[in-house]
This record gives sequence, C-alpha cells and structure tokens, in this order.
Amino acid sequence: MGSDVILVIVIGAALAFDFTNGFHDTANVVATSISTGAARPQVAIAAASLLNFAGAFISISVAATVANDVVDAAAITPTIVFAGLIGAITWNLVTWYFGLPSSSSHALIGGVVGSAVAADGFHVVIAEGLLGKVLIPAIIAPLLAFIAAGVSIGIAYRVIGRQRPGIVSRGFKYGQVLSGGMRGLEHGTNDAQKTMGVITLALIANGSLGAGADPPLWVIASSAAAIAAGTYSGGWRIIKTTGTRIIKMDAAQGFTSQGAGAAVILASTHFGFPLSTTHVINGGVMGAGAAKRLSAVRWGVAGNIVVAWVLTLPAAAIIGAVTYGVTSIFGSGAVGPVLVTVVALAAILAAFVRRAQRGAPVTVQSG
Amino acid sequence: MPLVAEIVETKELVQTVVYAFVAGVGVTVIFSVAIWGAARFVDLNQEERPVAAGAAALVGVLALLAVVAAAVIGVIVMTSK
Repeated sequence: MGSDVILVIVIGAALAFDFTNGFHDTANVVATSISTGAARPQVAIAAASLLNFAGAFISISVAATVANDVVDAAAITPTIVFAGLIGAITWNLVTWYFGLPSSSSHALIGGVVGSAVAADGFHVVIAEGLLGKVLIPAIIAPLLAFIAAGVSIGIAYRVIGRQRPGIVSRGFKYGQVLSGGMRGLEHGTNDAQKTMGVITLALIANGSLGAGADPPLWVIASSAAAIAAGTYSGGWRIIKTTGTRIIKMDAAQGFTSQGAGAAVILASTHFGFPLSTTHVINGGVMGAGAAKRLSAVRWGVAGNIVVAWVLTLPAAAIIGAVTYGVTSIFGSGAVGPVLVTVVALAAILAAFVRRAQRGAPVTVQSG
Repeated sequence: MPLVAEIVETKELVQTVVYAFVAGVGVTVIFSVAIWGAARFVDLNQEERPVAAGAAALVGVLALLAVVAAAVIGVIVMTSK
C-alpha cells in the first residue's frame, strides 16, 4: 500500500516536472518568432503546444533514461527519483521567477544525482557519464550555437543585403514558422520522453511493469498532455528574456538563431550527442546579435543566463539531496513524500502569488 | 582516473561539432539564397527581363526545396533516435 502511494506521488511529481519543462522551455520554441512578429504570441504558443503534444507520440523508444548514464541505475529507488524531481521542479521555478532560461534536463540530472548521493554516497555517481554526457556538452552547446549563428547571419546579410527589406523580412518570417514548427516537434519528442522514462522506471521498480517494458499508452498520453499544457501556459518571463532582452532582433536574426539552432540540435542528436536546447537557442541568439554588432548583445543579461546555467546542476543537486534527507527522516514509507509534496505545493503557490503581486505583468510585444 | 579524451570520445565529439556547424550554417545560408531568388525574381520581372527573372526563380525554388529536404531529414532523425 505504502509503495503504491509513493508510486502515485512519483508519477504526479514526474508529470509536474513535465509541465514545468514545457512551461519553462516555451521560450526555446516561440521567443524568436514572437519577438520578430513572425507569429502572434497566442497563435505561436498554441501551435507550439500542439506540436509538443504530437512530438511526444512520434517516438516511444525511451532514450537512455536521464539518470542511467550519470548514476548507478541499481541504486535508484522511487524515493530518490521523487527527491530528484522536486529538485528539478524547484530549480525550474526559481529560474522562471527570475526570468532566466536554463536547462530542464540539467535540472533533472542534478536533482537525481543529488538525491542519489544523499541516499548512497558519491560512489553511485558515474563520473565519466556526468563529464562526457552533461558537463562537456554544456560548454560546447552554447559556443557551437553562438559561432554557427554568428557565421550564418554574417553570410545571410551578405546574400540578401541589397534586396528589398520587405521581401527579405517576410521571407525570414515564413522561415521562422517552419523552424519554429521543427523546434516544437523536436522539443515534444525529446523532452516528453524523459518523463515517460522516469514514470516507466518507477512502474518497473514498483513491480507494476516487467523489466525492459515499453511505456504504456497512458504514460505516453499523460506525458504528452502535461508538456503540451505547460507549453500552452507559456513562461512569459523567459520568453521576454530570450526574445527581447538579450538582443533586439530582426527577422533574419530570429530565423538564424532558431534555424541554425534546430539544425545544430538535430545534427548532434543524429550522432548521439544531444545538446541542451536552451543552451543552443540562447547561444544562437547571442551569436546572431554579436555578429551584427558586439554592443548589440546585452552582456549583463547574457552573463546572468550563463550564471544560471552554471548553477543549475549543483543547485538542483543540493535541493534534491535536502529533499531526500527530509523525506528519509520519516522513514521509508509514504509519509515523507506526502509531507514534502504538501510543503512544495504550498511554496509553489506562494511563489506564484508573490510574483503576481509584484510589479507589472510580463508581456511580449508583437509586431 | 581516465583521461578526458577517453571519456568524451573525442572523434565522435569533433564529428558532431563539424556536422552540427555545417548543418546550422548550411540551412540558414541556403534559405537566404531562396529569399534572394524570390527578391531578384520580383525585381527582374519588373525590369522586364524574363530570362534572368526565371533563372533567379529557379535558384530560389531549388534552394527552398533543399531547405524542405533538410526539414524532412530532421523529422526522420527525430523519429529514428
């Protein structure tokens, strides 16, 4: 009975993480399209939401589960997964609160690593996996996107430089519809699978599914629905940061950062080296701005974003570890996770109320 | 303690960086060529130079087809990973 309660809580936490993932990463898909006026905000977000939902059904091959490559899979228990998810959700909400785009995948990895270390010690961490699959790509992704977008926009300006601005602008805006669609589909496929993997692992650990089982249809559908609902809710604060606060972009820069970013992500995925979409898109936006004029980039905003990227893994790990510690005070039953869930929900509600009460609402101008 | 080069699989990483860079720059530049073709087609048509306008349109359409092909390949990559 107790294990079933924990399982239900883990599934709820996984779907909540999925929601924050969609909510947090809406900006990766729509920010550049909205800021250049390629699409109206509500239309862009609704389309991104639908494409995220569809993307989640495209592939059900549960890609190497997030934790598998960085933590000894044998050490994973539902309580560790739960604490890791709380770490990831909390960090996603903290960065949303400050309007900073950060990697949801890194938050999840950090949360699970932290809770696993708190449970079993540092020996469960697979250092090679953490370095090779997480830390090195975290450095390469934004640099690669920065350079690719910078070179792309430089060549693009030379190609279309003397043509009529109206046709050029319209052309790149149409291009953004295509590249934005690709990004929405890719996000749904890639990120919803993480939640499917986590829920499937919890079901296997609980004995509800056999080892090596594929995710059941209800897991796929609920993960797709959660990420689509999160995307539709729209993380406006982060959309504003990515779309207007790093650079004031034109349609060519919008297409370049999005199109080059999508191509970089898909090419790297093809070679089995998936990069953070958040790092790629924001690195691309900075590169597209810097290539035009170095001072076009608001380096203070860019610096804050990089600091958030650096802090994501350790911060989520610490929250995950503390959550596991608090949970374990109440033993191995369901009491700890239930109490932590209640406290977490209260804290989230307080954060939303506080944000709603402070300052003017964040909106993104269209056109 | 294994060397960083052993952990990261340097060859795979360099391959990823090169292909991702080429794909990222390639898609954007080819799409720019498609827009150039469309813009030149309009201008040359107004200047009543049909052959040159047709050639510009052809370049634009071919570039656009290349971008669409890249998008299709992207969807295939998504579904096969």
